Amino acid sequence: MKPATWFKPFETIDRGSRITILTIWIVMVGGFWVLASTGSKHLFPTPGQVCEGFISLFNEGLVVHIASSLALCFKATFFSLLISLLIAYASPLPFLKPLAVAMSRIRYLPLTGITFYLAILVSDARTMQVSVLMIFMSLYFITSLLAMLKDIPVEEIDHARSLKCSRWEVLWEVVIKGRIDYVIDMLRQNLAITWMMLVTVESILVAAGGLGVLIKNSDKFMNHGRIVALQLVILAVGLLLDAGLNALRKGFFRYSTF
Amino acid sequence: MTAYEQKHTLLHVDNLSVVYDGKTIIKNISFEEKDTVVPGREQGQIIAFLGRSGRGKSTLFRTLTGLEAPTTGRVLIPDYSKTVHDGQQPAKMVEEGDVGFVNQKYTLFRHKTVEQALAFALRRSPLSATEKAEKINQYLADWGLEKVKMQYPNELSGGQRQRTAILEQLLNSGHYMVLDEPFSGLDIGNIDNVRKAFQLINRSSELSTVIFSTHDIELAVELADSIYIIGYPRENGSPGTSGTIIRHFDLKKMGLAWSEKLNSDHYDCIKEIRDIMLSS
Ligand SMILES: Nc1ncnc2c1ncn2[C@@H]1O[C@H](COP(=O)(O)OP(=O)(O)OP(=O)(O)O)[C@@H](O)[C@H]1O
Ligand SMILES: [Mg+2]
Repeated sequence: MKPATWFKPFETIDRGSRITILTIWIVMVGGFWVLASTGSKHLFPTPGQVCEGFISLFNEGLVVHIASSLALCFKATFFSLLISLLIAYASPLPFLKPLAVAMSRIRYLPLTGITFYLAILVSDARTMQVSVLMIFMSLYFITSLLAMLKDIPVEEIDHARSLKCSRWEVLWEVVIKGRIDYVIDMLRQNLAITWMMLVTVESILVAAGGLGVLIKNSDKFMNHGRIVALQLVILAVGLLLDAGLNALRKGFFRYSTF
Repeated sequence: MTAYEQKHTLLHVDNLSVVYDGKTIIKNISFEEKDTVVPGREQGQIIAFLGRSGRGKSTLFRTLTGLEAPTTGRVLIPDYSKTVHDGQQPAKMVEEGDVGFVNQKYTLFRHKTVEQALAFALRRSPLSATEKAEKINQYLADWGLEKVKMQYPNELSGGQRQRTAILEQLLNSGHYMVLDEPFSGLDIGNIDNVRKAFQLINRSSELSTVIFSTHDIELAVELADSIYIIGYPRENGSPGTSGTIIRHFDLKKMGLAWSEKLNSDHYDCIKEIRDIMLSS
């Protein structure tokens, strides 16, 4: 273990060094938290306050709210996955390509514009929540799927063609079957955006509950401990989803080594 | 010198050129290869393309296999689905899938193991499932791929990927195959394997035609019965910038084809080819 090498670009370090570096960072963050929460004009609630906040949240049915948020998230993800894959997989067809490209460009439209039109079409608030999330997720999802399709080397397409694959077979083998692991990874990356937006979207309909509603309520009472505790819970659930999808990809697809 | 006869045309390339973004990569490429008949044995044809880097060999191969349409000209192959007419086999323009192609990068399906890839190559074969499995196992053993048959391309060495790519096309396309630099990145044992495979294909059917490119002149002279050299022709004294055939060596006519061992005539030929390539 040579701390001097820790500041050398591209240096490979041993396991012991990695653990030491990680420990140093955790201690530094923890120390910063304790320091920042002491004094008269404190920036953060103390670890004790966060703990109290967490307990009070738990007593108010935190688990039910998490389940409600996850249900909304999964529902929106499912529909957006369906739509995005359909549009992206159809994009190799010259006639349908403009559709996919246009969908991907629409992500520059502001959120309010889209919700305005949605409000005209949809009256039920829960449907509204799902639709907003679904549309936003789809736009980003289509964008990353199109990038993935563009990155498929010509050689791979040619290889399939030279093996007497029809063009539809090429689409099926090279693009759809050959790149499922990429789709899972894109889902993972886009889930971060959805999970982040979820809180905002949930405040549309307070009655349906969810983490967004909890955070809004805590906001009102300026309860810092609760807010930070909630943020940590949201972060943890998001990271758990992330890790789950990663494990799924690596577990099912041995060749997926990126 | 082996007695031989030339029968019907197997490959006819007529005034081929490819232009990318206004830049002519290859031009005026015309040649014809016929079925060579040697009494008493099945004799296929092996054609080599030599040329320095960037002269357009890979570009030519993509058009020969129908993967890319040429800017001008055409590639014709016999159409065996039609009956002989006036003593001539009707011809057709080459289409993707007519010709097996192994590219320079040994591309494979990233989601198929060696065994799955070979099974996929045989998917349209009329053989029964057990016959297919037997055939695949035989090939895996012959080509030294048995131990890696459960592995994905990203878990294979360059040479193993290469052999899998060649095998796929062998199983899939039958007798007409184009290979772009099949010998690069192989060790001496692997080169021997591919060389044996060439000879095997060559003797397996009268019509089998293997076209390959290489930077190894000696190997080309040893294996091929016809060698084309792609280079930049001299135009008004200065070298041009588009590749074309600058020389054709018909090793059959020269009495150099199908020899067991290379003799001094072969080495003279190798030296001549080297000089032509250096000045193109
Ligand atoms: N897609 C492309 N667009 C423009 N130019 C290209 C393209 N592909 C190839 N070229 C050019 O065409 C020329 C011939 O390339 P090609 O790959 O056919 O050469 P090669 O003879 O196979 O070379 P090597 O022996 O190095 O494989 C090169 O000058 C290359 O820069
Ligand atoms: Mg090349």
